[in-house]
Amino acid sequence: MHRTVPSLPLAPSVKVKLINAGFQVASDLTDMRPLQLCKEAGISQEEAVEVLQMLRDDGQPHQQRAATESLTALDLLHQEQALGSIVTFCSALDDTLGGGVSMGKTTEICGAPGVGKTQLCMQLAVDVQIPVCFGGLGGKALYIDTEGSFLVQRVADMAEAVVQHCTLLAEDTEQKQALEELTVEKILSNLFLVRCHDYVELLAEVYLLPDFLSKHPEVRLIVIDSIAFPFRHDFEDLSQRTRLLNGLAQQLIQLATQHSIAVVLTNQMTTRVSNGQSKLVPALGESWGHAATQRLILRWEGLRRLASLYKSPSQMEATVQYQITVQGFRDASDEHRPTPDTSAVSSQLGNHSKRPRTEDLS
Amino acid sequence: MEWEQLDLNPRIIGAVKKANFRSAKEILSVSGPDLQRLTRLSKTDVQRLHCAVAAAVRKSKPVTALQLIRGECPVLEAGHRLSFACPILDGLMRGGLPLRGITELAGESAAGKTQFCLQLCLSVQYPQENGGLNSGAVYICTEDSFPIKRLRQLIAQQPQLRPDLPPALIRSLRFSDNIYIEHAADLEALQACVSQRVPVLLKRGLVRLLVVDSVAALFRSEFQADEAIERSRHLLAFSNTLHRLSHEYGAPVVCVNQVTDVVDGPNPGRCDYGLVGSKVLPALGIAWANQVMVRLMLRRLAGQVQSASRSSAPRKLEVVFAPHLPRASCLCGVWEEGVRGIPDDHSDLQPQGSS
Repeated sequence: MHRTVPSLPLAPSVKVKLINAGFQVASDLTDMRPLQLCKEAGISQEEAVEVLQMLRDDGQPHQQRAATESLTALDLLHQEQALGSIVTFCSALDDTLGGGVSMGKTTEICGAPGVGKTQLCMQLAVDVQIPVCFGGLGGKALYIDTEGSFLVQRVADMAEAVVQHCTLLAEDTEQKQALEELTVEKILSNLFLVRCHDYVELLAEVYLLPDFLSKHPEVRLIVIDSIAFPFRHDFEDLSQRTRLLNGLAQQLIQLATQHSIAVVLTNQMTTRVSNGQSKLVPALGESWGHAATQRLILRWEGLRRLASLYKSPSQMEATVQYQITVQGFRDASDEHRPTPDTSAVSSQLGNHSKRPRTEDLS
Repeated sequence: MEWEQLDLNPRIIGAVKKANFRSAKEILSVSGPDLQRLTRLSKTDVQRLHCAVAAAVRKSKPVTALQLIRGECPVLEAGHRLSFACPILDGLMRGGLPLRGITELAGESAAGKTQFCLQLCLSVQYPQENGGLNSGAVYICTEDSFPIKRLRQLIAQQPQLRPDLPPALIRSLRFSDNIYIEHAADLEALQACVSQRVPVLLKRGLVRLLVVDSVAALFRSEFQADEAIERSRHLLAFSNTLHRLSHEYGAPVVCVNQVTDVVDGPNPGRCDYGLVGSKVLPALGIAWANQVMVRLMLRRLAGQVQSASRSSAPRKLEVVFAPHLPRASCLCGVWEEGVRGIPDDHSDLQPQGSS
């Protein structure tokens, strides 16, 4: 590089001394040792070291900068589309999310107790493993449980339902071959569980995630159920809590984008009183609302369960109905799907819409 | 925290000590750039420090769900439950109470909640293969005094309740010796009991069931309507203690809760849990509901139900929410020998109120 000394990003006093000592271009300086430069130019040793370091750093990234600058928005779009997403098995919700829970982003699921947050998380942990030839990601999942509500019996039920679903869909030889390997045991063996008993253990687990992901590169989903539970008591200093939560959110977003994985967090609801009226809002405070990329709120409305997409950079806000069946997280009116025991499913739960629906039998 | 135990360069350990860090919690609570500033270590050194401290804090490595279901990690998944001593009730709960987590039983007065709790206190004392946990129970009373006469009656009638078990086994158990009764008249006494006396019993293996009858009484009486935040704080602290004990010792915690009347219609500020048309909801609000893993509601129905020339008012036990159970309910009656589920094909009942 033929840069002249006056054009270098240095302090003016240093530049003057260098020029007076006879250095005109940057290449004159590159082979100097700090002590030599110090004596010849009359600058202090620290300044000499700084000058040489600046020159060294300045030399290479020019080519690198050129390479990174050439990534266009179209390239980014292709990259994002190639990533895929994790289906939730509720087609209405999948459509709202643009295919499913997106990779490379953090998604927050808020809801009152019992509305289905843990069910959705367990469903996603099973769905991420659907083989690629069936339209899934064929990846593994890590489930960080802070509440102790991960009961493996339920996950086994959901895994069984997914295997049956794929069995009904299998058409060509590639799918049939993948189906032979897709068993309930295989699905359970690809689901890692960690239990954290307080926020310190949760922080520790997140610091250990990069290491875990490098050892298990097939992991495509991380679930933290829930992130609110360990942070809602024990904190007299709320500003510390906000700081810790922000730090966590940053680490998780970084992991999501670097490794192209989906990070799903669940949050609780709390009551907020304003103007004499109380309403249910997501817990952990206002600033936490900015933490996740996407926010999904699950709530009850009478007998119906509704999921609202509250915040998303790419999708429109919408509300859809879902239900929790024996098989897992499903559409509200699932009767047209070829499921084996629909009678048991619909009689066991009173989750039906108030308006009669016309079912299209296919 | 003993810093020398960590697998780190002594230079890093020296810098940590010099910056006056005393515990892993402090290190993990400080971000990377802040740690760099406080210890004057480089970025990679700070990363190594965080990883080493995190690895020391982590209690156990990730396990797979397959290992859990095969019973290879009894600490995380015991593989069995605490039975209700009735096959119909156990069927509703897919085996019984989970060993870790808080189970709440809410209902109006005279619904039969105390009867359920007493039955569990006896059931826990049987060996594991008979649905128990081979240990005793702690019963914390906050409302009325402990129903000792009823307990004696239940103990005498155990062979009738559990005809499938050998009478010799039932005779060999000294039921009343293994039930520890505590009375807590105010919140302070309750918190002291739960944080000091109960852990001792759990640690010695003398008990593996904790019953709080009821959790609502003290929290509702000691706080005014406008002290909601204060009440939340105490409630969270209390439930956190219960949660920790339950997970550490694998002991189910059963909390009896009262109910509040629903006077207005559906209110967006209040969660109904899908209990449409119900005149009552569990008390203590969403702050408490967030801490509960399994919520059961017990309702007393009108009419009578017969069993071998005795009669009882029927009750409906409903699962409001649980991670592993569907929304389902079953009918049961309270008899001399205890609570028994009623099979579905029973016809002479007139249910009252909501279905």
